[in-house]
Amino acid sequence: MLSGVCSGARMPERAATCAGCGCGCDDIEVAVAAGALERLVHTCTIGDEWFAERTAEAPAPARVDGREVDFAEAAEVSAAILGEARLPLVCGLGQTDCESQRAAVALAEAVGAVIDPAGPMQDGAVGAASQAIGLNTATFGELRDRAEVVVAWRADPAASNPRLLPRLRLDRAGRAAERTLVVVDTQRTATADEADEFVELPPELDFEALWAMRALVGNVPLDSNLAARLPLDALERLAGRLRACSYGALLHGPSGYVNALALLTLVRDLARIAHIVALPLRPEGNARGAEDVLAWQTGYPAAVSFARGHPRARPGEFSAVGLLERGETDAAVIVGFDALRHFPPRARDNLRRIPTIVVDPRATETAAAARVAFATAAAGLRREGTVHRMDGVPLTLRAPLASERAGDGQVLAAIKARIAEEET
Amino acid sequence: MLRIAQGRVYDPANGIDGEVRDVCLDGGTVVEELPSHAPRIDARGMVVMPGGVDIHSHIAGPAVNAARKLTPEEHRTDVLDRTEITRSGTGGTVPSTFATGYRYALLGYTTVVDAATPPLAARHTLAELRDTPIVDKAFLVLMGNNLSLFDLIREAGPDATGPVTEAVAWWLEATGGYGVKLVNPGGVEMWKHGNRNVTSLDDEVEGLGVTPRRVLEAIAGSVDELGLPHPVHVHCNNLGVAGNWRTTLDTLDTLQGRRAHLAHLQYHAYGGTPGKRPRSRAPELAEHLDAHPEHSADVGQVMFGPAMTMTADAPVSALLREITGAKWVNADLEAETGCGIVPFAYRERNYVHALQWAIGLELFLLSRDPWRVVLSTDHPNGGSFLSYPRLIRLLMDREFRNEQIGRVNQKAIGRTVLRDDLEREYTLGEITIITRAGPARLLGLADKGHLGVGADADVTVYREHGDREEMFATPRYVIKGGRVIVEDGELREAPAGDLLRVAADHDESIERTLQPLFEEHYSVQMANYPVREPWLLEPARRIPARRDGSGR
Repeated sequence: MLSGVCSGARMPERAATCAGCGCGCDDIEVAVAAGALERLVHTCTIGDEWFAERTAEAPAPARVDGREVDFAEAAEVSAAILGEARLPLVCGLGQTDCESQRAAVALAEAVGAVIDPAGPMQDGAVGAASQAIGLNTATFGELRDRAEVVVAWRADPAASNPRLLPRLRLDRAGRAAERTLVVVDTQRTATADEADEFVELPPELDFEALWAMRALVGNVPLDSNLAARLPLDALERLAGRLRACSYGALLHGPSGYVNALALLTLVRDLARIAHIVALPLRPEGNARGAEDVLAWQTGYPAAVSFARGHPRARPGEFSAVGLLERGETDAAVIVGFDALRHFPPRARDNLRRIPTIVVDPRATETAAAARVAFATAAAGLRREGTVHRMDGVPLTLRAPLASERAGDGQVLAAIKARIAEEET
Repeated sequence: MLRIAQGRVYDPANGIDGEVRDVCLDGGTVVEELPSHAPRIDARGMVVMPGGVDIHSHIAGPAVNAARKLTPEEHRTDVLDRTEITRSGTGGTVPSTFATGYRYALLGYTTVVDAATPPLAARHTLAELRDTPIVDKAFLVLMGNNLSLFDLIREAGPDATGPVTEAVAWWLEATGGYGVKLVNPGGVEMWKHGNRNVTSLDDEVEGLGVTPRRVLEAIAGSVDELGLPHPVHVHCNNLGVAGNWRTTLDTLDTLQGRRAHLAHLQYHAYGGTPGKRPRSRAPELAEHLDAHPEHSADVGQVMFGPAMTMTADAPVSALLREITGAKWVNADLEAETGCGIVPFAYRERNYVHALQWAIGLELFLLSRDPWRVVLSTDHPNGGSFLSYPRLIRLLMDREFRNEQIGRVNQKAIGRTVLRDDLEREYTLGEITIITRAGPARLLGLADKGHLGVGADADVTVYREHGDREEMFATPRYVIKGGRVIVEDGELREAPAGDLLRVAADHDESIERTLQPLFEEHYSVQMANYPVREPWLLEPARRIPARRDGSGR
C-alpha cells in the first residue's frame, strides 16, 4: 500500500531518549502509571539519575526571592533585572534542548548579553583547538562497525558515559577478538578494566606523550631525555597499532587547550597513514547542540558577546567562568545548570553576589539561591525537543509524561517578549 | 496588492524578453490585472525579473556549520548588527543562518536549494533552514554512499529497482527532503576503507557488491520511476582529477535516456593525466550536453578570492589538505556519507585556479541552451554567492571579461577557447534563464522562476546600469510573496520563507525490508529516524511527485 507517512517500524509503547550524557541513548522504554514513571528499561546509572531528577517533586513554577509568584510577575522581574544590567551573562545550556538554546541566543542578543554554553570542565578547549587545525571525527555507528583499534586517551567512558562502550561493542563482553581497546590514563579506570592494554601516564606528561606519539608515527627520532620520562614501549606499541590498522579512533575527555591541540595534530598526522578519527566525549546531554546552535546563529560555537549589537567571540575573555571570576557580569540567566555546584569557588562566590534568573526543571542549589527561579517542564520527559548527541547526530527527545508547565525555551521567549514590550 | 508598473520585463518562461509592461501581484501570486488604485511601484527604466533561484548551494546542516566553527577569523571582520527587524550575525565565506537569508534576499534571490544533507542529520539541516529567513528553501538528500541502499541495489540485481525505488521515496519522506543527490557514488564509502576511493564507474565498492555505475543506474531509475520533480542530482566520481572528463562522459552515457542533473560541471571537465596538469575538456562536455536534452548541469564557477571547500566527497578534501596544509575537517557519518572541509583561496596567477576559472566560463559561453547549463559557484566551494553579480558581468560584458582574462595565468588561458576572444555576451534574457527560469524548471518548481499568472509573487527589480556587476549587486526592489522586502539595498521586513519539500508516496511494506538494515547499520533506532517534529516540518509547501509519469 502506498503511504505518505514514515511510521518507523516497531515503536515501543512509551519510547524515550535519555539526555543524561552525550550518548543520547534513544532505545529507552518507560512504563508510566498514574502520570508518573514506574519503570525504565535500558537506562544506565546516569540515565536513572537524569530521569529521577526530572520527575522529583518540582518546586512552584515561578518564584521571586523564594516566594511563589505568577508566571507573568516572574517574567517581569526577570525583564527588569536584565534591563538594568550592564553586562548580563547567559550560561548553562548544555542540558536543555536545541529549541531552548535558540531561544537563549535570541534573549542574549536582545539584551546585549554574553552567552557561553561551556560547562565547568574546560569543555570548550577541544572546540577552540579544532578552530586552529580542524578535526577528524566520526559518528558512533562508524566507530562501532569499522574501528579496529580504539584508544581512550585520558577518557573514562565506563564512568562518564556508561553505555558508550557497549553501544560501540567495545566492552569486554561485546568486543570482537580482532578489535583492540587501549586506555591511556593516570591510573587504572573502569574503562581500563575493559581494555586489552592499560598505559599509565602521569597527567603532566600528556602533551609530551602526544608529541612523542607524533614522532613515533612519523618515524622522527625522539629526544632521549624526553623518552626516558615516558612509557616508551607502550607508546611505540600503540603507534604501531594505529599505523597498521585501516580504521582507528581516539576517544578523549575534556583537556586543556595545548593538550587538545597536540591530540588533534596527532590524529591529523595519523590520518595520512590510516583512517584515524577522534571523538571528544561530552558529559552533558546537549553540549554539542549548544555549540551547534550558537555556531549557526552567530558563527561561533562558544563565548559570544552581543554587547556591541553583533556577535563577537573571545574564548577566555567571554567565557562564563572567566567573566564570573573577574566579577565583570552583573546579572546572569542560568539555563539547566547547577552552577553553584559545578563552577570553581571564585566564580560561585561572585555568582552569589549578582541577581540570577534560573530556568531549570530541577530543584537545584542554584535555583534555590536565585532571584527569579522558573521550574520548567523537562525536555525529554514532559516536553518534546531535539538534542545533538556528542557525535553531532540530532535526536528527538520525546515527552512520555504530560505537563502544564512551560519548557525552558518558552520561559526564555516570555522574558524576551516582556523586554520587547517595555522597549515599545 | 502591488502593481510593478512599466518596467522592462524579462520572463523567458512565458516568452517575454524585455517588453515594457506591468506585473500585478495579489495574495502572494502573480495575477492578471489589479484595480487602478492598487499600490504601485514605478518601474519605468528598470528591469523586472522573477526572484533568483539557486539550484546548488550549501547553506545549512552539519558540514556548513562545521565550516562556520572552523573560521572565526572570517567572522570578525564581517558582522551584521541586530536591527528592529533583523537578527545579528556574521559573514565570511560561510555566513551565519540569518545572515545567509538576508544576503541572498538582498541579492534578489528568493529560493535556495541546499545541495547536500546527510539524511541522518536532516533535523539539523531543517533547524538551520528555519533560522534562514526570507528565502524559500529546500534540500537534497545524500544517497550515493548509503549502505542500506547498497544492500537493496545488490539484491535487486541489474534490472529490478522496486525496493530501491520505495526506499528512495521513504528516505525523502523521512527527512523532509526535496530531491536526491549522489556524491562520488561508492567513493566516499571506500574512503572509510583505509582512505581509498574509486577511480572508475566499474570499480567495485569493496565487499559490498556494487559499483558506481550500478548505483547511478539504480538511483536514477528510481528517481525517474517516482517522477520526482527534480532529476537525480549527481556529483560525479573523480572530482578535481586531471582526465576526469572521461568519467563525466561515462556517467552521462550511463544515464542516457534518463533525466539527470550534473552538479558543478566545471570541477568534472578536466583533460590530461591523473596527477599531472589538467587541461580543459569543457568544449566536449558542452557539446555532449547540447545533444542530450534529458541532461542538465550547473557550472560551479570558480571566482578568485577566498572560498570554503566543503563536500561530502571526503577523499577530495584530504587531497586539498595536502595542497594547502591548512585546517581540515573530516567527519564520517555512519552508513550514509562523509564530509570534508578545507578553507581555500583561488589565485589569478595559479595555473590550475586560472584553468578552473576559464573552464567555467567556457561552459557558460559554449553551451547553446541556457535552460540546461545554469549558474552556480557551488557556494561556498567556488566562491561565495555574493560573487554572482561579478560572474554575471563576466558573461555579459566582453570587454570586462577580456580585461580579466588578461590578468590571470596565461598558460592556462592558452589551453582554453578563451584565448580566441569569444564574442558571446549573455543577454538579460539569458541571464534571467540561468539565474531563475532555468533552475526553477530543472527543479520542477512550477510556481518559481517566471511571472505568469499563478506564479509566486517573487520578483526582483533592478535599476538599469552599464556596469552589470553594480546592477545585479543591489536590486532596487526585491519582492517576496508579494511583499516588498528590499528597497535600495535595505531590508524592509524579514519574513520566514517557506520550506519546500517533495511529496512522494512509498509502499509501506518497505519499512519491514529496511528494519533489519537499520539494525545492522545505524546507531539510532529506526523508529526515531524519520523526522516528526512539527516545528521542523511545518509550515511547508509540498511539491508532488508524479509516479505515473504524467507530469513528465
